[in-house]
Amino acid sequence: MKENNKAFKLLFLLPVIVYTLLLILLPLVYVLFLSFCKSDSYGGIVYEFTLSNYLNIFDSTYLNIFFKSVSIALITTFICILISYPFAIILRKRNIHIKNLITKLIMLPFLTNSLIRTYGWIILLRKSGIINSGLIGMGIIKTPMSLMYNRFGIIVGMVYTLLPFMLLPICSSVFEIDNNIIDAAKDLGASKLQIFFKIILPQTISGVFNGSLMVFIPAIGFFFITDILGGGKIMIIGNLIKNQFLTARNWPFGSAIAIFLIIITFLLVKLYRKLGGKLDDLGGF
Amino acid sequence: MKKIIIVLIIFIFLSGCTNNSIKNEVNVLNWSSYIPYQVITDFQNETGIKVNYGTYSSNEELLAKISSSKEGTYDLIFPSDYMIELMISKNMLDKIDTFRIYNINNINPLFLNQEFDMFNEYSLPFLAATSVLCVNREHIKDNIVKYNDLLNPKYKNNIVLLDDQRIVIGMALQANGYKMNETNEDALNKAKNWLLNINPNVKAFDSDSPKTLLITNEVDIGVIWNAEATIAKSYNDNIEIIYPSDGFAISLDNYAIVKGAKNKLNAYRFIDYLLRDDVQQKIIEEYPYINTTINNMNLSYEELNYILEHGSYVKNIGFNISKYDKVWAQIK
Repeated sequence: MKENNKAFKLLFLLPVIVYTLLLILLPLVYVLFLSFCKSDSYGGIVYEFTLSNYLNIFDSTYLNIFFKSVSIALITTFICILISYPFAIILRKRNIHIKNLITKLIMLPFLTNSLIRTYGWIILLRKSGIINSGLIGMGIIKTPMSLMYNRFGIIVGMVYTLLPFMLLPICSSVFEIDNNIIDAAKDLGASKLQIFFKIILPQTISGVFNGSLMVFIPAIGFFFITDILGGGKIMIIGNLIKNQFLTARNWPFGSAIAIFLIIITFLLVKLYRKLGGKLDDLGGF
Repeated sequence: MKKIIIVLIIFIFLSGCTNNSIKNEVNVLNWSSYIPYQVITDFQNETGIKVNYGTYSSNEELLAKISSSKEGTYDLIFPSDYMIELMISKNMLDKIDTFRIYNINNINPLFLNQEFDMFNEYSLPFLAATSVLCVNREHIKDNIVKYNDLLNPKYKNNIVLLDDQRIVIGMALQANGYKMNETNEDALNKAKNWLLNINPNVKAFDSDSPKTLLITNEVDIGVIWNAEATIAKSYNDNIEIIYPSDGFAISLDNYAIVKGAKNKLNAYRFIDYLLRDDVQQKIIEEYPYINTTINNMNLSYEELNYILEHGSYVKNIGFNISKYDKVWAQIK
């Protein structure tokens, strides 16, 4: 009977295993394979070994794009922390129903496609958009501000799309702090600052790092946000990869950049584990 | 357990069964917004031929789809000029049997015998597009006739360009007196510097819907496809459409039959149907590109002659595309 049970379990697991192998692992192996091939002038692939795709990444033009992407991703991460941390601290003292309600509200926008939500921002941010015409109508500004088709628009879009990935891990780590410890610290005469730096921060830093990882990595690749809210004027790594597959017809180079990005991701995850983070908190691997 | 295994086995056997009877259908792959949906359903109702209609958004995507699928998957496709040339050289197209197309005489001879398929052995023109300069005359009164006029610092953050490296770099080359498809390093370097100069004036690069920026007054100047410009003008009559004196891009999309097509006769019938005057009328009403038939011309012979004479086709430049890609990465 026990044997039978095992076989049964395997039967149910089979779709997941097939899915992972066929739709995630296999394409990744193919991308890795492509990254060592040459391309022909039609965008086809020549099956000859070369390292030139990887060497090409270190051209100053492309390195520049890497730095630009990283700077945008860092700013996004930083702003997400600035919003999420105080939010979680304030919410901590509220009762469980409010906490649950707010967490659900954070998840709610996820039910809509992120591309559509990004298009929604155009209506708010453009020259004749709701924000500008509202402010002009109230007499606060005279000429419309440039809120999109620039770096500002990109950051707004990135922060908006990625904020929940920061909010949820920070909230869960902040909510876990034991009130008794804080009370004990107060009894022993700790100041508010001391409580924050000695008790709250050390206990929540892993949540912050977890959130940072989940915000930083996608922020490097979200090409549709730079295209839509940045007006296609700023290229990030995501755009660069997309271009190699669609316009420049250089799939091997595109694959090499993608692999390079995966390596960076792995290094960051490794760093995260070294700092004491758990893989399970990232959603499990 | 046994039951489950039996069910699984039956399922696997059943899924192996396919319908082998000959279907009355045609497999079409076309640009995403070129033929109104109504036209396709009308054709199906009229002929009883089922149209399996797929779309693509770039010639490269089309090439990838054709070369990665089994021979006979697709029948009729609509590649642009340079892609026709490339597909002929890769032996991916079948010759077109013009005797099977009764409405062939509806095609405007001006669009025949183009350089990419000199004797129209493999392709017939479907519709044409050009890049044009649009200016909102309500806000901009200056004389604008050539690309260099756009460098004026007055137009800061006031221009939309296509998010297309070949068209935009081609335009920069033309502004510097070179040909659109130039691959010489010096020329491309000049083009790059020209684009860095114009960059502060560019508000956005947009290929999906640049007309929106013009219609919503986000910008007053644009270098965009003519159909987009025509639609923008229908919303705002102050928009003037200008053919720049240094040249512009022209693109001709064509009917072509894929090598090994299984439903050739149906593909011919579909082409024949699309060439009918009333159908052409429906197509240009919804997508106002340049019509290539005689009875539905949306531009005069004079204008068409000018366009064909002064417009440049985007050509396949082989490995040199990587130089363009680099310039593109440098200006963004």
